[in-house]
Amino acid sequence: MEIVPQLILNSIIAGSIYALIALGFNFVYGATKFFNLAHGVMAAIGGYAVFYFAKTLGLNLYFAVILGVALAGIVGYGLDKFIYLPLRKRKASNMVLLVASLGAMTALQAVIAILFTSRFKTISQNIGTQKLFEVLGGVITQTQLIIILVTALILAGLVFLLYKTLFGKAVRAISDDEEVAQIVGINTNKIIGYVFFIGSALAGLAGILVGFDTGIEPTMGLGLLLKGVIASVIGGVGNIYGGVLGAFLLGFVENFGIWKISGEWKDAIAFTLLIVFLIFRPRGIMNK
Amino acid sequence: MEYLIHLAILFSIYAILGVSLNLVVGYTGLLSVTHAAFYGIGAYTTAILLTKTGVGFFSSVILGIIVAIALSFLIGVVLSKFKGDYYAIGTFGFNTIIFAIFLNWQNLTMGPFGIPGISKPELLSINFANNFNFLVLALIFLGLIYFIARFITKSPFGRVLKAIREDEKAIVVFGYNTPYFKLAIFSISAAMAAVAGSLFASYLTFIDPSSFRLMESAFILAIVILGGLANLRGAILGALFLILLPEILRFVGFPPDIAAQMRQVVYGVILILVMLYRPQGLIGEYKL
Repeated sequence: MEIVPQLILNSIIAGSIYALIALGFNFVYGATKFFNLAHGVMAAIGGYAVFYFAKTLGLNLYFAVILGVALAGIVGYGLDKFIYLPLRKRKASNMVLLVASLGAMTALQAVIAILFTSRFKTISQNIGTQKLFEVLGGVITQTQLIIILVTALILAGLVFLLYKTLFGKAVRAISDDEEVAQIVGINTNKIIGYVFFIGSALAGLAGILVGFDTGIEPTMGLGLLLKGVIASVIGGVGNIYGGVLGAFLLGFVENFGIWKISGEWKDAIAFTLLIVFLIFRPRGIMNK
Repeated sequence: MEYLIHLAILFSIYAILGVSLNLVVGYTGLLSVTHAAFYGIGAYTTAILLTKTGVGFFSSVILGIIVAIALSFLIGVVLSKFKGDYYAIGTFGFNTIIFAIFLNWQNLTMGPFGIPGISKPELLSINFANNFNFLVLALIFLGLIYFIARFITKSPFGRVLKAIREDEKAIVVFGYNTPYFKLAIFSISAAMAAVAGSLFASYLTFIDPSSFRLMESAFILAIVILGGLANLRGAILGALFLILLPEILRFVGFPPDIAAQMRQVVYGVILILVMLYRPQGLIGEYKL
């Protein structure tokens, strides 16, 4: 096992996870234009749902994954319906929405900790016996390979949804100007509700994949959210491709950054990257 | 009785944090979520000086203030370039970076193990190891800081801050150098938070990085938002409310670890409810 190929692989794996979070986050941001801090906790909801359905209730694993993704989506939809929608109707500022989502994040995270304790848990049944693949002199597990494939599939699916369907057209119209979209007869509140469902479901999926790769804990959402936000901002917030690009850039900078300094600085490196971008290119790589 | 004094000391510390953060968030309209970093700077300065050198508590408070001002100046220079929700995201970054320093600069901060054996203040043969005496000391600090904050907000300087909050462009037209004002209030607020940190370290005689993470900043923000933006008494009311509430939960009979999570649930829900129904907080004068 050589170090550089392994670092490249690790960067791609981390980048895929961040990309999945950033895709959902950007999708929601594009339509609503606020930083939904509760996005990360959807990942924890997805992960814990799979833990509960598959490990505690003993349901079929694939069925449990579907339930987990759906549950994350439903919670996201519910947050929009009962918190963000009333606020948007009142024309509340972005900061109000941001603070409300901070509240939602805190509360949901704590509810998970109450239900499942705050201890670290694994959902994968075959830890240690996973199939390993050698790629370019580095090692990658089966789960990690699945993560990369799923991210690619989701990206393709989301691009198709946004640019080839009527629903996507409506979302892009809302992105450009919500009021005008409303005037031409788009039921914006309904569409935004679906956007929340899809975005949150994607976060749930990311949480499930992380759960299979390493494990789950109630606070996992915050870390993932922050990485997703950083990826979105450096890539170009609200831009689907930008988020993915930013995610991989972040993955590479983080993993190559800890080559020379110790791994505990990972988060600090990520945020330094964010602040450098906020100073020199606040609109990100893709946005002008 | 000891228990009530303990709560009152905690309340005084959080009231200092609330009052100081209100200067930035309430009066100037900058959504800062990095207050726990400066709180930690004060705590660590006091802890390190009291355990490793012969410096007394009161000198360590002054040094903590100086370190906090120096650091907040550097951070503030960067932050004053940002606006609105980007400002908030930037402050997330700085809180995380400073937390990483507390956690990883092991030679200085002892990392995750924390610093034990911090001595209590002594002055003119008054021994503050007695909790009642310590409470009096904390209340004196709170009074001082409240008085300074009040003086600032009533001064012409304070009126410029409010003008920045209401319409920054307009005040720039009048020839005010607004980044300078934003930087100044940010540093003043950081210095006050450092005082709270010194008190905290000396009172508990033990600190570790976990008291200064991002969620702690969110908690201080919740105090300000619940109590009332741009109202100093509001911040004190918010601190009183959010410190006492979890104690009530304990009396209801939840086990301690669930009570800790319940506290998170309660203050998350409070943030949401305040945003939905009373965005200016209990007695605030400004809506986000």
